[in-house]
Amino acid sequence: MGVFSEAIEVVCSPAGQPLRLIWGGHTYRVGADPVRWYERRNWWEEETRAERGHGAGLVDTEIWRVQARLNDRSELRTLDLSHHVRSDRWRLIRIHDALKDSA
Amino acid sequence: MGFIHLHAATAFSAHYGVSWPEEMASAAAADGADALACTDRDGLYGTVKHLRACMDAGIDPIVGVDLAVLDDGNAVTGRVVILARGHAGGAGYRALCRLISAAHAATSASRARTGKPVGVTMEQLAGYVCVEGEEEPVLTVLVGPQSDVGQAMRWRSYAVARTLFGRWRSLIPARALAVEVVTHLSAPGENLSLAHAVRMFRLADEMRVPAILTNAVRYVDEDGAATADVLDAARSLTSLSRLPDLQPNAQGWLKGTREMTALAREISSEAGYGASGAARMLADTAALADSCRIDPVADMGWKQPVVPEASVIGIEAEPLIELRQRCEAGITRRLRPRDSIAEMELRNRLEHELGIIERLGFASYFLTVAEVSAMITGMGVRAAARGSGASSLVNYLLGVSHVNPLDHDLIFERFLSRDRSTLPDIDIDVESAERHNVYHRIFERFGSERVTLMSMQNGYRARGAVRDAGMALGMAEAEIGAVAKQLWRFSARNFREALAEKPELREFSGQVEKNRQLDLLVDLTERLDRLPRHISMHPCGVILGDTSLLDRTPVQPSGLGLPMSQFDKHDMDPMGMLKLDVLGVRMQSAMAFAVREVVRVHSSREDVIAAGRHRAGPQTPDPEFIEADGRINLDAVPFDDEPTYELIRSTHTLGCFQIESPGQRELVGKMAPREFNDLIIDISLFRPGPMKSDMVRPFLEHRHGFSPEVYPHEALRPVLAETHGVTVFHEQVLRTLNVFTGCGLAKADELRRLLGNETAEPGVEEYFRSKAAARGYTPDTINKVWETLKAFGSFGFCKAHGAAFAVPTYQSAWLKAHHPAAFLAGIFEHDPGMYPRRLLVAEARRMGIPILPLDINRSGDTYRVERLDDGRLGIRLSLAGIYGLSAVELRRIAAGQPYDSLADLRARAKVSRPTLRRLARLGAFDSLSHQTGSGASRADLISYLDAAAAKPASRKYDPIPGQLALPLGDTELANLHHELPEPGLREKVRTELDLLSVDVSAHLMESYAPLLRSLGVTPAEALVDLRNGTEVLVAGIRVATQTPPMRGGRRVVFISLDDGTGCIDCTFFHEAQEKSGPLLFGTELLLVRGLTRRTGPRGISLQALEAWNLADTDSLPKPAAQRGMLVGSKRSG
Repeated sequence: MGVFSEAIEVVCSPAGQPLRLIWGGHTYRVGADPVRWYERRNWWEEETRAERGHGAGLVDTEIWRVQARLNDRSELRTLDLSHHVRSDRWRLIRIHDALKDSA
Repeated sequence: MGFIHLHAATAFSAHYGVSWPEEMASAAAADGADALACTDRDGLYGTVKHLRACMDAGIDPIVGVDLAVLDDGNAVTGRVVILARGHAGGAGYRALCRLISAAHAATSASRARTGKPVGVTMEQLAGYVCVEGEEEPVLTVLVGPQSDVGQAMRWRSYAVARTLFGRWRSLIPARALAVEVVTHLSAPGENLSLAHAVRMFRLADEMRVPAILTNAVRYVDEDGAATADVLDAARSLTSLSRLPDLQPNAQGWLKGTREMTALAREISSEAGYGASGAARMLADTAALADSCRIDPVADMGWKQPVVPEASVIGIEAEPLIELRQRCEAGITRRLRPRDSIAEMELRNRLEHELGIIERLGFASYFLTVAEVSAMITGMGVRAAARGSGASSLVNYLLGVSHVNPLDHDLIFERFLSRDRSTLPDIDIDVESAERHNVYHRIFERFGSERVTLMSMQNGYRARGAVRDAGMALGMAEAEIGAVAKQLWRFSARNFREALAEKPELREFSGQVEKNRQLDLLVDLTERLDRLPRHISMHPCGVILGDTSLLDRTPVQPSGLGLPMSQFDKHDMDPMGMLKLDVLGVRMQSAMAFAVREVVRVHSSREDVIAAGRHRAGPQTPDPEFIEADGRINLDAVPFDDEPTYELIRSTHTLGCFQIESPGQRELVGKMAPREFNDLIIDISLFRPGPMKSDMVRPFLEHRHGFSPEVYPHEALRPVLAETHGVTVFHEQVLRTLNVFTGCGLAKADELRRLLGNETAEPGVEEYFRSKAAARGYTPDTINKVWETLKAFGSFGFCKAHGAAFAVPTYQSAWLKAHHPAAFLAGIFEHDPGMYPRRLLVAEARRMGIPILPLDINRSGDTYRVERLDDGRLGIRLSLAGIYGLSAVELRRIAAGQPYDSLADLRARAKVSRPTLRRLARLGAFDSLSHQTGSGASRADLISYLDAAAAKPASRKYDPIPGQLALPLGDTELANLHHELPEPGLREKVRTELDLLSVDVSAHLMESYAPLLRSLGVTPAEALVDLRNGTEVLVAGIRVATQTPPMRGGRRVVFISLDDGTGCIDCTFFHEAQEKSGPLLFGTELLLVRGLTRRTGPRGISLQALEAWNLADTDSLPKPAAQRGMLVGSKRSG
């Protein structure tokens, strides 16, 4: 499993569910039933401010685990995306089959 | 319809909840919910606030608790939520109270809970769910993700979960049971993940009990999550990085209907139940919420006063008839009306008060208070009412208060009126040393089912907040300590603001700019501000009720061993609880001590009269307040004693109640009180309101005739005459309103309470203007009077409070004027004031009262007045003040006195070696050594003890019990040879300060005398002879630091220095604070340059310009000779 972070563009359904990813100049289609959760951040190590009213996104991050492929013939890849709600920016944070690919 | 949250903790769940009930209720209402539950952890700490918040928000309150479940070995198996059924005539709420009390029974009151944790076994819980006579269960138990069942489900132990739930079902009726479904959408496999909720939902389905959706709320919105993290760290006393069970994420907030509905759909669809499952879960949740809606009045007795049954206070007659009889008896005992007009006034007032009491049905309440008061006095303990209770003639006649309201124009309506249905407050001051005994006696007298102590919420303040925030961040303790020490009396909320403004934080402020972690520290400190940390016994509140009391409040153990309510003072009125404030007042103990000393050291009544100069001349009447055995009945001392007022005017009021602070000494100096009413005015003026709004200056100018008195209208002359036209008292506001509107005093008090309230005040103004105009007052007058009311009405002072306070003020000054040695001994013993004991010792020295050194045979376990050979009275130091002397040693020493030798002391009192050495260093053996005829010095003895200490005496020389040591005298001491010189004065004083914190042999500053002379420092006693505005240098030991609120909101720091000749009060305004920086707080010995400010005929203070640390010799200014000026004579512009 590769762990890194890279900006990625995500097109969502009206309910906020990712439909397509634009990554490395290619568009990936997201397969059925992506999984969403909220993951804690060690904010006290990563942030310099935590003032009252800082708002959502300080303590946790929205994570989507999606399965995506370029086209019907290409392999499904499992990706974890983090969604920064306030700025609506997405980052790719994990590629689950990256190790297998590189091997 | 809006989603109703049934599991929500408020900030009153200490170290757990984040948001205040008001925030929660208004957020719920704004989202469209028409009800909200408050389920604080372990108790109903926030419940009453929740009720009020819900009523204000227009939604129904729901009441419950989040409680730990214990197994038979008292280990916690998990937590469940328990909700009270509503609209059940209070049955649900009663069961909840009793259940929570049971959960706290046999727990330890200390904060580091040891022993049984707070919680109940399932069997115990089952015993409260149903009650006799109620068909439906009165409580509902939500078995959720934190329960044993829920934890098993988290780990997918389905079989275990089913078995555990089976136990719940076998103990608790199915109608009282539900499964709580919660997801915080945490990562798969974690606590509160979606799958976790799905498993719980399926379990409910399988077990055929409702699934109830909640969000296990800890904060009102996502922003609170970081605060919750810090609270979790504080609760576990560790840093965030080390905390094993952090909340999984930030989703435990009061989510809105949209979010909760989406969650229901998500859970249901994942569980395979589709949309109908979600609808079912939401409907079941709403149905449970409906059955738990609380009617504050019918279920919880909202605002319905409950007092002990008349039979408990031994009354069989109608309480009102009894009350009337006791008042009649009081008239005979306390009052002898001067004439028929006074008699009529008295009768009218009594009928008026009794009429109102009858109408409100409060006769039993007054009798209860009288009963408590009589019980305390019967214990031989001083007791006096304080507060607005002094407004009542009935209280005076019952012996509850000691001020006759008719003498001081006190208005009953300020205390109680027909329009106010809440129980009035009566506060009783008792001797602090006897307070706990008094509590125990109240419990015995009324029975533990009718009495409990009130609690108080202890919130985070700046220092504690910094400490816990620093700990959460994992900062080093020394680093946190250094920051915490810098904080001085401002709320954590304004930390960042304070950093920018306060000179003493300048250094720290610079560090913040450099260090990122400090920045975070500041933010977290501000987040913690004011959040409740724990409850503790309120210092004075006792709740009295009838046998239903423990159905109305949960109780838990207090540090005193007596049960304590989970409700605080703000909850009393709403819950109809009668609270007596039994305050321990050290001054009362000090005065009681002084009175006992007076009896002890004088041989007869005549002796007391002579010593106290109580009969100035042959014409003076016999002082009736002195009893046959010489005991002074302080409460009978007339309020017109001239020497007492003389003492007060001299401003030498150190030790006196209320008037010893620097600001008060300045004020009494300016005001020069001549009679009791002056004292009442003085105490009432010395408040933040009057000081801030500049009422004092015009009052003093009018009083001394510097400027003519001004009345807005002739009609107000009788109302305002006593304060020369300035509105000082609530009573004057009431009368002014009454004069201008004719509204009556009861209504006037209602109006007064609305002054200063932004929304209500305009209504009062309109009423005032129209009524006053109708009564023919001119617009100009109306304007002027309204402005006064508006400005002063909200913070004027209740004259009854002032009058009640003035009594001990007068009594203490009276004792100081007539029996100074006994009075100061009482002050040393009970330490009632704001100053360190050493300052009061210096005051005794100034007054010429000898301070007698420690002596192993003459010093006891208290300070004592001792008659010297020349007939004077001195004060003998107490052994109790010695550093490191244990209470056990102290008791043994005192019990064994006198001793004829060191051996005798060792054998019978079994003092430890260090104690023996300390006693020697303090000179406690000097007289013993003297008796033996030894010429050895104190230093010889110390060196002998140091050497001898190595080999303890063999036990075979211990006397056999019952056998007396041979009275050989002290051969040990007699054989000591004189070799070493006696320790010098400076060394003796240093030792005394180290071991007693009091400089006994001489004032500490005496050793600085040469330095001070070379600097040209002016002694305190010489200041009063200087002209106003003289520039001087003064020096002394800091004895007090105050930052009272001042006009204009700019901080002023008062520092009082003691130099042995008196006390110098230095005022540091903004610029001087800037110049002095870190010296302002903490530095003990100060040198101050400043300008004299005359404050009264005998009063002078200093406006400080600059300060130095006297101990830091290099930093000091050059000696006077080198500066080329004559200090003390230079006039400044």
